[in-house]
Amino acid sequence: MRTIEALRRSGVGIGPERTIRDAAVVMEQSGVGALAIVDGERLVGVVTDRDLVRRALAQGLPADGRVDGVMSAPVVTIDADADLHDAFALFRANAVRRLAVVRGEQFVGMITIDDLLMDLAGDLSDLSRPVTAEVVFGHHDSRVPGA
Amino acid sequence: MQASVGDRIIVHGHSGDEPNRDCEVLQVRGPDGRPPYVVRWGDSGHETFFFPGSDATIEHFEHSAN
Repeated sequence: MRTIEALRRSGVGIGPERTIRDAAVVMEQSGVGALAIVDGERLVGVVTDRDLVRRALAQGLPADGRVDGVMSAPVVTIDADADLHDAFALFRANAVRRLAVVRGEQFVGMITIDDLLMDLAGDLSDLSRPVTAEVVFGHHDSRVPGA
Repeated sequence: MQASVGDRIIVHGHSGDEPNRDCEVLQVRGPDGRPPYVVRWGDSGHETFFFPGSDATIEHFEHSAN
């Protein structure tokens, strides 16, 4: 079984003192939907595009408010050396679409449901190839000797 | 993954139409050149923490002693 390390994406983070506007701009320009909020070396929260909509925009918070006021904490994390089944279990147990990947206490990146789906789709494609070949090109079973 | 100040990190697009992005390492916060890094993004100039994953590669540059 592959580990999370093989699939995890690079993580982008900002400090808790940065503004809600900064978070939105960094997300937009980084092409990510979630940012790690890092205080020194410590992961203190995660802010998602959904957090910005629900906790900032919808509540009328000013764009220059601190981002740690709208982040999610504590963060659902998974160890980089865990296997993918552990990620499935965490996604099942928690209503989240992303997990923060850590090694020890150090944040190292993100993994999303989309990443797992794309990986599964690749596996299914590999599995279906011999079946498809059999359907298209007929059976290639070994002959019984002397038959 | 290890980097030095001034190195360039390239984050490869996750799909065919997603472009690569790059950033310059401004600070190395981890021990022995390891992440996290403070980086400046080439396309926006924004500075963020960056934690490279399997989608990122580093271009090392020679650093003068001066």
